Amino acid sequence: MPSLQGKSASDIEAAMTAFRTGGREATVMDRIAKGFTKRETNAIADWLAQAGAAK
Amino acid sequence: MSPLLTRRSALAGLAASASVLAAPSVLAQAKPRVVIVGGGFAGATCARSLAAMGVAVTLIEADQRYVACPFSNLVIHGTRDIAQQTFGYDALRAAGVDVVFARAERIEPEARRVLLPGAVAITYDRLVLAPGIDMRFDALPGYDSATAERMPHAWKAGAQTLLLRKQLEAMDDGGVVVMSVPANPFRCPPGPYERASLIAHYLKNHKPKSKLIVLDSKDTFSKQKLFMAAWQELYPNHLEWVSLASGGKTVEIDVRDMSVVTEFARHKAAVANVIPPQRAGSIAQASGVADRSGWCPIDPVSFESRLAPNIHVIGDAAIAGAMPKSAFAANAQAKHCAIAVAAMLRGEPAPSPKLINTCYSLVAPDYGISVAGVYQPAKGLLADVEGAGGASPGGASREFRAREAIYADAWFKVVTEGVYG
Repeated sequence: MPSLQGKSASDIEAAMTAFRTGGREATVMDRIAKGFTKRETNAIADWLAQAGAAK
Repeated sequence: MSPLLTRRSALAGLAASASVLAAPSVLAQAKPRVVIVGGGFAGATCARSLAAMGVAVTLIEADQRYVACPFSNLVIHGTRDIAQQTFGYDALRAAGVDVVFARAERIEPEARRVLLPGAVAITYDRLVLAPGIDMRFDALPGYDSATAERMPHAWKAGAQTLLLRKQLEAMDDGGVVVMSVPANPFRCPPGPYERASLIAHYLKNHKPKSKLIVLDSKDTFSKQKLFMAAWQELYPNHLEWVSLASGGKTVEIDVRDMSVVTEFARHKAAVANVIPPQRAGSIAQASGVADRSGWCPIDPVSFESRLAPNIHVIGDAAIAGAMPKSAFAANAQAKHCAIAVAAMLRGEPAPSPKLINTCYSLVAPDYGISVAGVYQPAKGLLADVEGAGGASPGGASREFRAREAIYADAWFKVVTEGVYG
């Protein structure tokens, strides 16, 4: 499973967008990413990047 | 009056006006304290989240060890040790949570205090109830707590899980296993079907002349198409599912005859796994936060009880709309509830959540399927976000199913590490 550790906000945002639009193959993230707007996706990416960097 | 009345509760008891009652932290002039009852996925997550935000938090839990339900079906299957399901509270203490091992007996909402045995009272500014479930031993004629020692429910992980495992292991090849499944709502909607799959897997490999009969009080269930396709492929001779419409509803348990009785037949069992109807844990019933359904209505934004002020209910005990009663959902609700509680202690409104759930099920040890959802408050309940969520695709490769089994395991490790590690 790919780790989120050390990923930048823009990497995470790009991955979430690809999951949402079907551009990246997934088991479950495609189904989850569709539940979030672009703004929410950005907020999630920012938060995860900060949490990942803090570790 | 109790001799152990604290200054705060004494003041609250004397105060006549609701507006004074609404501001106990002002009365007490102390750092507000949140008390949480129940140290499962919901309660322990909430405690840890609040402590991380610097909120003073006391967690009251009856048992020093928590035995987690997710993956406990593999213990029944015989390929997982119960130790892998078992967690303690040392990490919560190290994170600053005040952990009290006691059985909370009663809540006094007006005095804002939780009563423990020995006339000990713990006062709170806000209370989070995470009591999980209790079996309704009054719901199924013939099935009570004594019967459960012969015909285990194994719907709370621990001794019951090990009992069911032992019975399956001791059963002769050719013995019939009968499982009784309740109507909605109950803990872990896909759980009975994962368990049925793994028991069938065990029988196929170790007791090939045996068979599992699943007597269901429903016609439809979570991930049904995926389960039934897998059953046909993997266990055509070892698993028979009887729907409500086909007479699957259990109406009585006859323990002397080791039988599960439906309206149409008696199913004699070598091993019987009876999952009875359930309700919110007893403290919820005793404290007036459960309604006539036995579950706890909540505001979907703050998770505050609709029946009692300053009390929040999270996890399986809550009526959370479209969100299922799962450990994943409990964990998500708990994190949000911590944010809501912290905001309300500051006198701010709780922010509106967007919550995720994913329920993995193992159809075989290396064959996983999932159902996911994203939820937000709508019309007073947590509702599905349209266009998101759903079950794993039908007809996927075994490699895809194997990956979901690995992700299920990874989910368990990450969540338990975050809560108890």
